[in-house]
Amino acid sequence: MKVLRWVGVLALVVGLAWAQGQQPIKIGALFILSGNFAGYGKSGSQGAQLAVDEINARGGVLGRPLQLIVVDDQGNPEVGVREARRLILQEKVDFLFGVDSSSVSLAVAPLTDEYKIPLVVTHAATPTLTEQCRPYVFRTSNNARMDAWAAAALAATLPVKRWANIGPDYEFGRVSWQDFITRLKQLRPDVEVVSEQWPRFGSTDYASFITALMRARPEGVFSTLWAGDMVIFARQAKAFGFFNQVRYFVNPVGAALEVLGPLGKEAPEGLLVSARYWFLYPNTERNRAFVEAYRKRYNEYPSYNAQEAYAGMHMLALAIQKARSTQAEAVRRAFEADGGLTYDAPEGRKRLRPEDHQVFEGLVWGYTKHTPEYPFAILDRMRIIPATDTVYPTQCKR
Amino acid sequence: MELGFYLLQLLTGLAYASTLFLLAVGLSLIFGAMGIVNFAHGSFYMLGAYLLYAFAQGQAQGFWQGLLLVGAAGVVIGALVERLFIRPIYRRPEEYQILLTYALLLILEDLVRFAFGAAYRSFPMPPAFANPLFVLGTPFPSYYLFLVGLAALVAFLLWAFLQRTRLGVWVRAATQDREMLEALGVNVPLLYTTVFAGGIALAALGGAALLPLQAATPGMAVDAVIQAFIVVVIGGLGSVWGALLGAVLIGLLQAFGILLLPEMAMVFPFALMALVLLLRPWGLLGRPPAVRT
Repeated sequence: MKVLRWVGVLALVVGLAWAQGQQPIKIGALFILSGNFAGYGKSGSQGAQLAVDEINARGGVLGRPLQLIVVDDQGNPEVGVREARRLILQEKVDFLFGVDSSSVSLAVAPLTDEYKIPLVVTHAATPTLTEQCRPYVFRTSNNARMDAWAAAALAATLPVKRWANIGPDYEFGRVSWQDFITRLKQLRPDVEVVSEQWPRFGSTDYASFITALMRARPEGVFSTLWAGDMVIFARQAKAFGFFNQVRYFVNPVGAALEVLGPLGKEAPEGLLVSARYWFLYPNTERNRAFVEAYRKRYNEYPSYNAQEAYAGMHMLALAIQKARSTQAEAVRRAFEADGGLTYDAPEGRKRLRPEDHQVFEGLVWGYTKHTPEYPFAILDRMRIIPATDTVYPTQCKR
Repeated sequence: MELGFYLLQLLTGLAYASTLFLLAVGLSLIFGAMGIVNFAHGSFYMLGAYLLYAFAQGQAQGFWQGLLLVGAAGVVIGALVERLFIRPIYRRPEEYQILLTYALLLILEDLVRFAFGAAYRSFPMPPAFANPLFVLGTPFPSYYLFLVGLAALVAFLLWAFLQRTRLGVWVRAATQDREMLEALGVNVPLLYTTVFAGGIALAALGGAALLPLQAATPGMAVDAVIQAFIVVVIGGLGSVWGALLGAVLIGLLQAFGILLLPEMAMVFPFALMALVLLLRPWGLLGRPPAVRT
């Protein structure tokens, strides 16, 4: 009988330890799920969920499953901070994740120091976020400066000199244009700026801006209009014959499926656009398998935000695995070790720069073109900008 | 060349003004006649865009028929909303109106997201407007001219209705003295239902008419109602002519302002609003609040 009692105690101890090991690793994701940009938040949360399910299907991380909790930050910094605090204090999440809006990312970032909870950003693109050199903030997608530098590298090869800008009037639009034109002038000192237009972010009428731009007779136009702004602008500009007059229209966020999908067959052809990830590139086993899995699960093609969130989740899991811990300091060291964490995402190799925790990756650009196979325009004559062309200097030191 | 360009810019300004007028006029009408601050106005504008998309099944050929159906649906929805939600709160303090119409805005946004999804929906240009007109050698989308005509028609019909019909006289009288109107035997509740239904139908028609140039999204309601409020605050809340004046001022200010100060495009409407609020807080064509005796 004594033996039986000991067996009982042993079973209890082992059981408790097992239950402890099965406690999920909680990841609180902030995405925009309402308002005009809900489409981006939806694809981001779908990509993250797909990665979580893949990781859990193979036994989780450190023997523990991942649990994703998605909340709506409305793209509003105050709401984002409130929800992030709630996730940390009430839901007891181990990590913060996602974030679409740059202003939300900047508002939430200080919480990572306050609570020692790491944040993995997969969309918000202001260069400032990683230039703050915070120890527990990581960005696994490329940022707006890398996009602008890639655009400048391409623009420098185009046979045009007269450039103009039309961008949304807030930090993202202003900083992107500054980065683009400064870089382009380094590469091609002979270019000149003939017009700058700054419609309000969320504008629905671009007619006056289009005619004012056309009057300046630019040969190339740089634009960071995104989401519905780009959808509406492209349709109105096309009606004015804008794209017949301007030889090159360059937009680093114009190939988002959230833009090309709604434009459908109305999308102008020959726009030089990018989108951080394009589901038809690269033509590898890895990417095709991801696209197929995503389509099977959600019945749509993965947008860039879906792939970035998917890859970000896998990178976070890798870092936890490598750290053998969910503690912020151990995870930070795992991200920084060996010259920075690398991950072979569907879009190709991502490498995190240890100094500023910014991931660098090759970028795909191309000219819009309609084909019978897809109900929206796809990228033709693809141009690949290697990661090395987008590596800007950082102030951060580790 | 230069003159031609300024003419073109004038037209783009008027086109923008027309979109703003269609957006704002119903809001002003409802406030003027009923004293209701309708925060959900932008939601009915959004609903009009989505209903056109649904009625025409996303096909350009179904545009005209769809537009008529949206107008009819707007009247029915407006009448129902007034009877079910607005009528019980007429005699309550104004905070109740704001809470109620704001709740409607949130509910309608989620309903539309539930029915149509979160992605942007765009609608092709109706075949009649497929080709641009040429203004002094520059292509100009003919749909903008249609919008300018539509806005002018709506303004004219409203003027004729308010000035030349018995119902219009009652609506104007209701803005002055509701009790007196009731004492004279006018069925004021029915009058209110009619005005609200008309205002909502105007919002829905506006949303539908702008869809071929824009794109529908569940979040467009909030942006629309903010723009509408800017227009009516400048023009005078409650005044149909104020809405027209406010829209034209903003449209022209943007079209010509960006030629002089391209950096300031976003500031123009707000600067104009601030100026009007400083000099005439009740709006350009609004009436200063009367002292109640």
